[in-house]
Amino acid sequence: MPSQDNPDDRIALLQGTLDLLILKTLVLGPCHGQGIARSIQRQSEEVFFVDHGSLYLALQRLEEKKWISAKWGVSANNRKARFYSLTAKGRQQLVEKTSEWQRLTRAMGLILDGRPSSEEV
Amino acid sequence: MFRRRRGPDDFAEEIKSHCELEADELQSEGLSEEEARRRANVEFGNAQTAQERFYLRSRIVWFDNLLRDIKFAIRQLIRNPSFASVAIVTLALGIAANSTIFSWINSTLLDPIPAIAHTSDMITIMRGERSEHPTPPFSYLDFADLRDSTRTFTGLLAYHDDFMAITGSGKPERIYGALVSSNYFEVLGVRPILGRSLESTAPNERLGTAEAVIGYGLWQNHFGGDPSIIGKIVHINLHPYTIVGVAPEGFQGCKSGLRSDLWIPVGMDSQVWGSDRRIKNRDTPWLNVLGKLKPGVDHRRAENELNILMQRLVERFPDAHKGPNTISSDPLWRSPFGVNVYLYGTLPILFALALVLLLLTCANLANLLLVRSVARRREFAIRLSIGASRWRLVLQLMVENTLIAVAGAGLALLVTKWTAHGLSAFLPLTTLPLTLNGRVDRTVLVAAITISLLAAAVSGVLPALRASRLALAPASALKDEALNTSGGIHKSRLAGALVVGQIALSLLLLVCAGLFVRSLQNAQDFYPGFDPRHVFLASFDLEPTGYSRAQGLEFDKQMLLRLKSLPGVQSVTLGDFSPLSYTIHTDFIQPEGYVPRKNESMEVDRGVAGPEYLRTVRTALLAGRDFTDRDNDSAPPVSIINKALADRYWQGQDPIGKRLQVGRQWTTVVGVAANGKYRRLVYNTAPLVLIPMMQSYHRADQVIVYIRVAGDPMAIASAVERTVHGLNTDLPLFNETTLAANMRLGNSFERIAAAFAGSFGLLALILAAIGVYGVVAYATRQRTHEIGIRMALGAGKRDIFRQVLGRGLHFTGLGLILGLMISFALTRYLRGMLYGVGTADWLTFAIVAILLCVATLIACFVPARRAASIDPMQALRTE
Repeated sequence: MPSQDNPDDRIALLQGTLDLLILKTLVLGPCHGQGIARSIQRQSEEVFFVDHGSLYLALQRLEEKKWISAKWGVSANNRKARFYSLTAKGRQQLVEKTSEWQRLTRAMGLILDGRPSSEEV
Repeated sequence: MFRRRRGPDDFAEEIKSHCELEADELQSEGLSEEEARRRANVEFGNAQTAQERFYLRSRIVWFDNLLRDIKFAIRQLIRNPSFASVAIVTLALGIAANSTIFSWINSTLLDPIPAIAHTSDMITIMRGERSEHPTPPFSYLDFADLRDSTRTFTGLLAYHDDFMAITGSGKPERIYGALVSSNYFEVLGVRPILGRSLESTAPNERLGTAEAVIGYGLWQNHFGGDPSIIGKIVHINLHPYTIVGVAPEGFQGCKSGLRSDLWIPVGMDSQVWGSDRRIKNRDTPWLNVLGKLKPGVDHRRAENELNILMQRLVERFPDAHKGPNTISSDPLWRSPFGVNVYLYGTLPILFALALVLLLLTCANLANLLLVRSVARRREFAIRLSIGASRWRLVLQLMVENTLIAVAGAGLALLVTKWTAHGLSAFLPLTTLPLTLNGRVDRTVLVAAITISLLAAAVSGVLPALRASRLALAPASALKDEALNTSGGIHKSRLAGALVVGQIALSLLLLVCAGLFVRSLQNAQDFYPGFDPRHVFLASFDLEPTGYSRAQGLEFDKQMLLRLKSLPGVQSVTLGDFSPLSYTIHTDFIQPEGYVPRKNESMEVDRGVAGPEYLRTVRTALLAGRDFTDRDNDSAPPVSIINKALADRYWQGQDPIGKRLQVGRQWTTVVGVAANGKYRRLVYNTAPLVLIPMMQSYHRADQVIVYIRVAGDPMAIASAVERTVHGLNTDLPLFNETTLAANMRLGNSFERIAAAFAGSFGLLALILAAIGVYGVVAYATRQRTHEIGIRMALGAGKRDIFRQVLGRGLHFTGLGLILGLMISFALTRYLRGMLYGVGTADWLTFAIVAILLCVATLIACFVPARRAASIDPMQALRTE
């Protein structure tokens, strides 16, 4: 089965980023998967295309780590949906991951452009 | 944790909800409802894949797979019951052999003192020359000094066990009891379940206190489990003792395999033995000593310390320590005191043989699996081609093997429940309180299951890997198998190797079996130095019935007279032992004119014998005379020695008339008897001295009557009973048997080894034959087509027959060569257990090789005949 081959290496590429983006999105309040996907796409000015399969796996993973919690509820337009919200642990992780990410991009910028890319932002 | 997990359904629901939400949003952005739904679904991508990834991510997957594998495996086994039952039964045989022997090891070597949990920090202490049948090595005073000055032991205890008679509380009983030091129960960590131990007798240890702790069994059987037993009086050898405690169930003293029922303070020896000599004299060794090491002290250090302490005692009291004084220690599992000393050599070897048998059954199982996996090749190929990984396939097969193994283990444990008691079946009726039996407890259970799982792994791995590789080229496997007529080559190589291995292992087992059987035969055919046929034996003990010495001697005399006049009786005598039944004692001797080397042990076998002893057992008299009824109290003390004793101490001199000190008594040698065996047939002939019953009455703790008759010895039993009861109606005669039967105890361990090695060998032979048959038959069936072609091209039936047979013989030949090499290399480890046969006994090897050859030949014969009778037309058409 092709899916068996190595599902992990695709996730590995996305793992850090996607997790971080999900956490960031949830800071604003509880949201369901579709909302999160839309939000990420919108906020990145449609640069990121969120692979939905990966998104739900990431949500599952974060839930297992207890960074986010989930609960079935009803959406604004009266649809049944599974709402995710940030836990205290998740909030703390968000801070850590953000600074980690900033250090990474800064370092990458230094190497690639000779100046920290974060200064641009 | 388990409950919190999300199910795949919940996940699917979420995906559905996602698509609905997305569709709603798209719709609100201006798309038609249908278009919105389509776009939402497309955008999500492959929902199936997402779900599958979710499913695979969850850790529960392997468990689901396992359950599925187990279900599938059960179905597979049920579908093929003949394979399943053959596999399970074969494996069960192998496991049962192991678990049976392990159950024995478990309850003897691993549990040397029943009812005591931890014996690993206890050692048993020996002084002087080491042997398999040492006498208790310490005098009381030496023991007391060592106990008081040691710093490496938390405690040293001493005991001396002997037969005792209990009276005054119902039926008189002859029991095995022990005189013990006051700290006995405390050092062992045994707490009486009723009353107290003997510790309070410590201040008065030397003088003794008339108190007794009784065993649980005695309490139940003799005293009916009386709850108010504490404080009651029991008469031991006619002296009153207060019962102060009841030992916990299962506790039976410190000797492995021998049960004591009663414990009294060591100081009471002056009463039991009739003299305080053993308590007061430093030169009379009679106590066994056992120690519990302090935490962190290893036995070497303790041994060194004791040696230093002992050396000081030797220097202070040189006259009391003339013999060897080196102290050595043993862990309890191979303590020289008790039955373990005979088992710790035998049982591990039997266990090793059982393991070889198991390996053999594994090879057989592997072969079965191999054949089966070839038959299932199509199934594997299909599974692989629809996406199963090779690893999953191997796992599936391993699950099947494990099921077989677990079923085999279950069956084996049922068998073991029954065979665990087999050990005692080899022991003849004896007065010794032997408690030798295996039992199936948790350790045995765990061991059996571990062994079976190992067996499953060993036998399953290769076939499973092969099966999966075989199926790795699904295309070819799925094609008609007719194209694979020569594809069996690879398979046959592994199968062939397995068969060769099987034959080699069978040969090893058969050689061991042959050696043990030949050894037993030699032992039984060997003339032991006396004629065991036509001799009736019965034992009695006058002491508890209150006879004085004079009365006892008179009773013996009268009884001998009356028995001698019974019809059919040729001669009658008495003894305090019977040969080859572990009943002979030892004593210290001093031959006239012989100067012992420094620290030479002067301890020899000593028997107390009645008039006409040599004549009754038919031991040849080489010089001098037999004992007569005139060798009594009023005559000068005499002794009879065997040739070995004469040769050792009076080489080249005439021993008749020489003076010989036996114990403390100086005697005159009046006779020299031919050598004989008195302990075990496998032992070398040892020096022996006999002293007359009428002059050493007090040294005999039981009296055995020997009656030689013309015909069947047991036929005289009732007449003997009538005669004895004519003299004393209440005197119980026990252990009525024949000399021939009684001496079977002397080769019990040889019989155990021979019986087990023999049955293992037989099983091995059968397994090897089945293995050869299976492989040759299978290969022949695979080659039906080829054989058909050969015949069509002109090969005769004879050629085909010869070819198939040749194939089988090829395996056999290789297996025999390998097996002979292994056997030559390994049988030398049996040396200590064999009697009268070398470990490289060519006759055994030759017989075994021929036997194996014949068996495999027969096994090949059937498939060869079948091959030769193939109809070529039929064979070519079967495709």
